[in-house]
Amino acid sequence: MGLIKKTTGLMGLAVNPNPHHTLGALYGKIIRTLQKMPEESVYRKYTEQIVRERAAVLQQTKDSFEIEQKINCGQAEELIIQAENELNLARKMLNWKPWEPLVAKPPKGQWDWPPSKA
Amino acid sequence: MSFTLRTINVGRNVARVLFNKVCYPVSQTVAYKSDQSQAENRPTVAKLDPLQKSQLIDFGKYVSDCLPKYVQKVQITSGNELEVLVHPDGIIPALQFFKDHHSAQFVNLVDIAGMDVPSRPNRFEIIYNLLSLRYNSRIRVKTYTDELTPIDSACEVFKAANWYEREIWDMYGVFFANHPDLRRILTDYGFEGHPFRKDFPLSGYVELRYDDEQKRVVVEPLELAQEFRRFELSAPWEQFPNFRGNPVEEVTTADPKKE
Repeated sequence: MGLIKKTTGLMGLAVNPNPHHTLGALYGKIIRTLQKMPEESVYRKYTEQIVRERAAVLQQTKDSFEIEQKINCGQAEELIIQAENELNLARKMLNWKPWEPLVAKPPKGQWDWPPSKA
Repeated sequence: MSFTLRTINVGRNVARVLFNKVCYPVSQTVAYKSDQSQAENRPTVAKLDPLQKSQLIDFGKYVSDCLPKYVQKVQITSGNELEVLVHPDGIIPALQFFKDHHSAQFVNLVDIAGMDVPSRPNRFEIIYNLLSLRYNSRIRVKTYTDELTPIDSACEVFKAANWYEREIWDMYGVFFANHPDLRRILTDYGFEGHPFRKDFPLSGYVELRYDDEQKRVVVEPLELAQEFRRFELSAPWEQFPNFRGNPVEEVTTADPKKE
């Protein structure tokens, strides 16, 4: 690349000197968190798919510009934020257990629109 | 000659106008009915983007597969507005999922709205409007509650929820648990009641006036000059005609376990 990136152009988002390393660590953490979820969890399945795709791009190249091009979801610093959010979410999901069956059906007529006259 | 010709022409025109007048409404309704199935081509009406709609339907299925514990129903309204109807216990997980998941990224909370339908068992609906700048799409998350059941505050997920929830608390009296600062926000100091409830009278309960003797504003119970009359408020017209020709479409999931 040769050029040193000076700014992300986004308010409050500093340039990360080594996004490849940070992203790799975060994706590893997400995968390890997801592996605590049951196999049949759809959230686990989809998230693992997304994260493994991105981790595979990291495997191919070390250049952050190429990583951004291949993942195509914003700058490397934004990718880091997305990964942090996902990690945060995955850890909370372990408590919430959203793969379980529906907690309660809605009361009759709750979601009807227009509402029936009283 | 020319005169007679002209009269004939005029007569013909009159006849055509009459014919058109008789015929016009019929042809118009036919055109309108066919419009709903075909593409919208009126210049002032928003066009439906079938690609966007199919993406929204796919995302709706994705959400209900990912959060089967909390999502009760997913539907498309007004052609291309995705609504996710969530059990009140799952509002925080659902919002957190929409905000933090890689393929959602609805990081902006545009608004929280309330709705009061007294005939329902849970009369209040809380409606969260979310925006994803990354994927340029919007989503609406709805949940329900009644007068006494508190609902979890979304402040820990979205900082923007703080004032919106205060507005709903003020206007509808829905209590938000774990809200950092739940006070009234829109009504006056010392106001009592929740003015957006359907059972709140249009005139309110009190009136304020400046009292010259006491040299201050006094609050007094409302006195109406007219004796109480029972007004017939139900309109003879259909209330929601737009939903007749444009019904809510439910997004069905491919998951057989839910059915």
